[in-house]
Amino acid sequence: MKKFKLFVDIEKEENWLNEQLQKGYRCKAINGLGVYTFEKMDEQYVMRLDYQRYVAKDKFENYQSMYEDFGWHLVRGDTIGGIQYWQKEADDQTEIFSDRQSANDYYKRIMNYTLSLGFILSFLCFLFYRDNGIYLTPGLWDMEGALFWKALLFETPFALMRLVPVMIAILLLSSSYKAYRKCS
Amino acid sequence: MKHKLLPLSETMHYILLALREPLHGYAAMQKIEQMSNGQVVLAAGTLYGAVENLTKHGWIEPVGEEGRRKIYCITNEGKEILQLERNRLTHILSLYEGSGMDEEV
Repeated sequence: MKKFKLFVDIEKEENWLNEQLQKGYRCKAINGLGVYTFEKMDEQYVMRLDYQRYVAKDKFENYQSMYEDFGWHLVRGDTIGGIQYWQKEADDQTEIFSDRQSANDYYKRIMNYTLSLGFILSFLCFLFYRDNGIYLTPGLWDMEGALFWKALLFETPFALMRLVPVMIAILLLSSSYKAYRKCS
Repeated sequence: MKHKLLPLSETMHYILLALREPLHGYAAMQKIEQMSNGQVVLAAGTLYGAVENLTKHGWIEPVGEEGRRKIYCITNEGKEILQLERNRLTHILSLYEGSGMDEEV
C-alpha cells in the first residue's frame, strides 16, 4: 500500500505514521517526496523519528548500530543528516528517549535545523526580489488614486504567493518552537 | 561556573558508574537496568546522546571495538567527576541524617 502525504511538522508526521502502524501495517519505505510504502503485518510496529545533522560515515555507523542493538531498524535516513526514521516491533520499550534532557536536545536539534532552513529560504527570497520587490506590475508605484489601489489590491495575492517560502519557514520554526517549549 | 553537565543527571551518573568496566553501549544499558533494580532503563537515543556527550568532554573514551560496536570506558577525568559527585551526595545524605549542622560548628 502506498500513501502520499506531506508534512511540515515532524511530530505530526510521527503521529500519522504510528496511526498507520496501529492499523496493522509496517512501513517498508519512505522516499522523501511524500510517498510512504506500507505492508500488512500480523505484528504491531512502532516508529520514532530522530533528527541528526551530517556526521562522518563511521560516526553514523556507530549511531546506527547503537539503535539496532535496541531492536530499531532504520527505514530511512542517512549520513547527509535530516530526519532518521526508526521502526521496531512494539514491546515494552517503544521510546528512543528515556529522559527529559535527551528529549529536549532532540527538539533543540530540530529547532536549529528549521532556523537555518528559514534563513536560507528568506535569503533566497531576498536575492530573488531584491531588484524588483514582490510587486511586479509595471509602473505600479507611479499610478495614482483609484487606479493605484485597484492595481495594488489585484496584485497583493500574487505578491503574497511570492513570499510562500518565507511563510513556510515561519510555520516550520513556530511548530518546532512550540514542540520545544512543550517539552521543557 | 560549574560544568554544564554538573550536577550529573541520573542517566549520566549511571553511565559513568557502569563504565568503570569497559562495555559497549547496549551492555552498559543492561548493566544499568540491573544496577538500578529495573528503575533506569535507557532508550537508544538517550544512551547514544549521553555517550557522545561524555566522550566529547573526555569523561569516557572508546577503548576498542567489538564488530561494529564501540567499547567505552571511564577516563581519569571521569573518575574525578564521580569523586566530586560522591562528595556532593554524601553531604546531602548527611543532611538527611540530620548531622549536617554539626559539620558547620
